[in-house]
Amino acid sequence: MGSVALRAGEPFPDLDLPDHVGRQRRLSEVSGGDPLALFFCRGWWCPKEQRYLRELARIQDEFEVAYSRIVVVSVDPSEVQAAFRAGLGARFTFFSDAERRWLDELDLRETTDTVHDPYLPSAFTLFPDLRIHRAYTGYWFWGRPTMEELRQDMRAITMAIRPDWRLM
Amino acid sequence: MTAEGPSRVFFDGQRLSTDRGGSGRRFRADPRCFAGAPVRDAYAHVCALVYEEAKLPFDTPEVQQARRDALAWWIPLLGDAFICLTTLAVDSVNYGGAVTVTTTPSFFDEDPFARLFPGTVVRTDLFSAVLPPPGPVVERYRGVAWPGGRHPSKEGSGRGGGTPV
Repeated sequence: MGSVALRAGEPFPDLDLPDHVGRQRRLSEVSGGDPLALFFCRGWWCPKEQRYLRELARIQDEFEVAYSRIVVVSVDPSEVQAAFRAGLGARFTFFSDAERRWLDELDLRETTDTVHDPYLPSAFTLFPDLRIHRAYTGYWFWGRPTMEELRQDMRAITMAIRPDWRLM
Repeated sequence: MTAEGPSRVFFDGQRLSTDRGGSGRRFRADPRCFAGAPVRDAYAHVCALVYEEAKLPFDTPEVQQARRDALAWWIPLLGDAFICLTTLAVDSVNYGGAVTVTTTPSFFDEDPFARLFPGTVVRTDLFSAVLPPPGPVVERYRGVAWPGGRHPSKEGSGRGGGTPV
């Protein structure tokens, strides 16, 4: 069972995993002081993930000019993620947990898929210090954050951490 | 000088230097590229010209797209050979070029920044390894050469953030 509480207000663990090129990264380093949208997905083979990640590839055009980051975690090996990422046209970072080091620590094991043993589809919007702003469970597709909810979350986090920007 | 260290770099068309008063055209680079232990005998692909007129606003679509391409495929293409990458800022508005530093010069013909200003291969001991930018951010922080910089933390600065550019 997981040892961390993935609820609003709680800190998200500072994941240390290889990225889509195989370089070791940390979540806090990738956040880089900016708000972060963090997604756990089953993998490249899942039609739901293909659909959802195409949406993320569209909204990255907004993230890229709004000082906000996107990270996707799956159990796919780095080289598979690199190919999937290229096919999506994504410019954000993928974390590979092919060794499934964080699955149980986070209590995000998807138990119905005994073939791939993947992550439970879920999403978290995080403050730069990795505190959770909002958590989403997306096992049933409609539980995932819509692009509009992501915009609202990024706005709320930015308003909280950058009052001098005077967002209204 | 920035909080992360010096960012000054000179290019004379053949060589790079960080020496004060160095010869050639002066640029600002991502200071993290000079903050760690230098990688010896690295290859730098310097996509810049020595003429002061050779500059473009960072916000022009061509410069934006080169940064998007760097995040999307240029850095993944380089793989383990990648050491660091920095744009070369002329001032807070203008882009003067970019430098990609690697352990081998194998893919420099593909460099997306060479679409803007032609590339010159330079052997160098100046640059240290910096993790590639995570993306998708292509905007810059407080005028620091992309992909450097970050907004000050709320705790550290007593205020919420920096000035977007």
